[in-house]
Amino acid sequence: MLRHLVLIFGITFVYCSAFGQTGYRFMGKIVDKKNTPLEGAWITIPAANKGVESDSNGNFGIYNLPYSTYKIEISFLGYRTLTKHVSLTENRNHVFTLEELSVWLDEVEVRRNSPEQRKKETTLNVELVDDDYLKKNLGGSLMKSLERLPGITTIEIGSGQSKPVIRGLGFNRVVVIQNNIKHEAQQWGSDHGLEIDQYGVDNVEIIKGPASLMYGSDAIGGVINMKDRSVPSKNTFGTTVDLTGKTNNDFLGTSVSLFARKNKFYITARATLLGFGDYKVPTDSVAIYSYHVPLHKNHLRNTAGKEQNLHTSFGYISDRFQSKFYISNINSTGGFFANAHGLEPRNVDHEVHDASNRDILYPYHDVNHFKVINRSSYWSGKWRMEFDLGYQRNFRQEWSQYTQHGYMPAVVSEELDFNPEIERQFQLDAYSGNAKFFYKLKNKTDLNFGINAEYKENEIGGRGFIIPSYNQLNLGSYVVAKHRRSKKSLLLTGIRYDFGRLNSKSHYDWFVSPVGDDQFEHLQRAIDIRRNFSNVTWSFGYNFNPNKWLYKFNIGKSFRMPIAKELAANGVNYHRFSYEVGNADLSPEISYQFDAGFAYGSKKFAFEATPFANYFSNYIYLDPTSNYDRLYGFGNQVFEYTESEVFRYGGEVRASYDVLKQLQFGIAGEYVYAIQLSGEKKGYTLPFSPPASGIFNVTYQKPKLKCVKKAYVTLDYRLTAAQNNIVPPEETTDGFRVFNLGLGGEAIVRNQPIDISVQVRNLLNIKYFNHTSYYRLINVPEAGRNLIINISFPFTGKIKTT
Amino acid sequence: MNLNTLKYLTLIVVASCALNSCKDDGVEIDTEKPSIDLTVAGAFPTSCDTLYFDEPFTIKAQLTDNVELGSYNIDIHNNFDQHTHSTEFENCTLDTIKKAVNPYIFIQDYTIPAATSEYTTDVSLTIPSTDGTDAYDEGDYHFQISLTDKEGWSTLKGLNVKILRR
Repeated sequence: MLRHLVLIFGITFVYCSAFGQTGYRFMGKIVDKKNTPLEGAWITIPAANKGVESDSNGNFGIYNLPYSTYKIEISFLGYRTLTKHVSLTENRNHVFTLEELSVWLDEVEVRRNSPEQRKKETTLNVELVDDDYLKKNLGGSLMKSLERLPGITTIEIGSGQSKPVIRGLGFNRVVVIQNNIKHEAQQWGSDHGLEIDQYGVDNVEIIKGPASLMYGSDAIGGVINMKDRSVPSKNTFGTTVDLTGKTNNDFLGTSVSLFARKNKFYITARATLLGFGDYKVPTDSVAIYSYHVPLHKNHLRNTAGKEQNLHTSFGYISDRFQSKFYISNINSTGGFFANAHGLEPRNVDHEVHDASNRDILYPYHDVNHFKVINRSSYWSGKWRMEFDLGYQRNFRQEWSQYTQHGYMPAVVSEELDFNPEIERQFQLDAYSGNAKFFYKLKNKTDLNFGINAEYKENEIGGRGFIIPSYNQLNLGSYVVAKHRRSKKSLLLTGIRYDFGRLNSKSHYDWFVSPVGDDQFEHLQRAIDIRRNFSNVTWSFGYNFNPNKWLYKFNIGKSFRMPIAKELAANGVNYHRFSYEVGNADLSPEISYQFDAGFAYGSKKFAFEATPFANYFSNYIYLDPTSNYDRLYGFGNQVFEYTESEVFRYGGEVRASYDVLKQLQFGIAGEYVYAIQLSGEKKGYTLPFSPPASGIFNVTYQKPKLKCVKKAYVTLDYRLTAAQNNIVPPEETTDGFRVFNLGLGGEAIVRNQPIDISVQVRNLLNIKYFNHTSYYRLINVPEAGRNLIINISFPFTGKIKTT
Repeated sequence: MNLNTLKYLTLIVVASCALNSCKDDGVEIDTEKPSIDLTVAGAFPTSCDTLYFDEPFTIKAQLTDNVELGSYNIDIHNNFDQHTHSTEFENCTLDTIKKAVNPYIFIQDYTIPAATSEYTTDVSLTIPSTDGTDAYDEGDYHFQISLTDKEGWSTLKGLNVKILRR
């Protein structure tokens, strides 16, 4: 569809109004279903290379046409494009009625972005979900809501924090993008979640597999791309109120959004407020390594949290140019399981902690993420330009009681320039910019040139050291060509060059340690590191979709620069009671991956298989050594960053069958195998390898059930295999079977629609362990039964124009 | 390339991977943790033993691994609050719960010669009765040995002991 729109704009570019009245006059009027005239619709006659815009009364006229039968196209933002053959044999006034799409729509890409269409346009394996899916599967955090998709897992810590993992790769190997700008936070931290408001996300595209070509270093495992498409249609306003409740952790949340648009200007705003208590697990005690901790009423002590988020976006949209601003501030506070945080498992004052399940005591984290983004694009004829600019500030503090270790003083003096109760503090400022240029070379080939630039600075604070302050510059430029061999097959190829520079700063202890007889020094924990990296990556893919089939193949090279933590870590991991040490000589990770996709879709039956095979010449990971640390004098096991050759393969399968019009059966499965081919852990798998898993689903839906529209009931039976393929210090994890139930629909009460979705997760309150949960190592089972209810009230209206 | 050829080629690659022929089964990996044995003759300390301030004693425990031992670490910390470790099986008689004033703490790591799969510790230790100025607290302590093997697997043994003044 984009092609058509670009074409329309192109035609308009050369279009001249009346040349005099020779030939035929094609005149008419564009209205919507309620017979309201539509201003600004585009009427084109491709064969005659002519196009025109309708005026404020919906009227238009194209003059000087030879008598003939023409194919005409009428398109208008937010309406389904109308294609018609019109025989121009007499001067007659035509009336065309356009069908409105929906209130929420994207300006250019909406019709291009149906999942089926998108899958035909790419050679990588993608998953697309919309806000409807997110509401039906609402979890404790955005990634948790996406976990049902095959190939997607999460590394969790607590009930409100989770990190994305795509086919077993996570942390800095997955890029998260919001409104074209890479989300920059402290993503290296295994205990750090994503600072994303899931109520504000209405569209997620997940690329399963390396995508360094378009997204640069870090996209070696995949991409989570969130695009805010919520641009209201012309002259409308409205508001949506969401209310959410969850029984497991006494979660209460609300999100209110407003939007309005008058002609070319629009504005939206959203406020989200949520809070939750300690979550419940189906056990009354846990063993943290060997340390026995009783739980009060099944509550995981001090895992309560809260979030306050504000967003606004506004912009200008015209026929050739659009510019949109997005401003958001995400603030979240969350407690850590109090017995499992520190230098060792801790005996905390249970009486104080268990007095309330909603209070957030030490240890807890507090994160504030501020973001401003501008996306502008300009297009004409055969080309389009896009510019994205972004600034982000991520401020993170981890608070806990001051605990002396190493030669830290037992009692801190008041002259310190930081609060000794702050365990760690990070302040990241990130500046990003993208310039993209799309060009239509002939009819069959699209070219896409792009430049990405990013500069970030991270300052550290607090009493505990883990990573140094650093600054990092990344520059990349790429060219991608998409060639359509026919309507059913396309080739996609591209090449990219990246340059990166990382400067990390030296760091000295704030306290002195003895270095000899009666000699004391501030020990150095990190040295100055200056590393430059550059790399060429490429990708080649083919997509063929004859009739009901779809085949795709892609082969590509990706790379990832080592991060500051991998180069210069030197401190205690307070969740794992380990001592982590970086390696300043690590080289950038290089990965080669082959991806394939086979899909079949008929009216009743659909099937898809997406296998992959992948080779890393040097995968960087944290290797447990046989040594104990004496640097900080607390006897924790030392883990060192190291690199090894890795081979991985796996894939996802999915099938669905419509037994009846309303009854559908579906299955989805995922599997990943990884093996280290060299290094200290030759023959072992990679840490946090997800076990094989499958979902059997049965869904019953009815377009109308009494006063409920789009009513549905869905039952998931998740079967996860045991994970016996482990690497130190992991434990093998048993398989499990869990039922999740969902139901909902759109109730109409006095003409007011109310969207309701209800879920019961872990229906049978089964006690099971998730191998990729951060709390797995300390034997914390997954959350018990959880009833989740989300109610959404949308109100919309029209703005009168005079 | 002929499309059908491509199609079948891919299917063959994928199918063969799925049938595990890509997996290298030749490498044997160690998934066994090392172990600490305190039942050997002369093992010290064992559960419920008493240690005395200023009196030297020798820590004797037998460490074994199926492949190769790594290193071990000894940790002594107070148990005045009577927290528990799940590796302790025996119940010792504990004093009443009390607040720590000046508890004794000891953390030290020790190496094991390379290519050893069985090793008996021989560490002499004397617990000082003061930190130089103030006396250390008497009472219930935890005595913990942690052990790694060369692959990085680790294991932990915790004991209830008393540290007293003679």
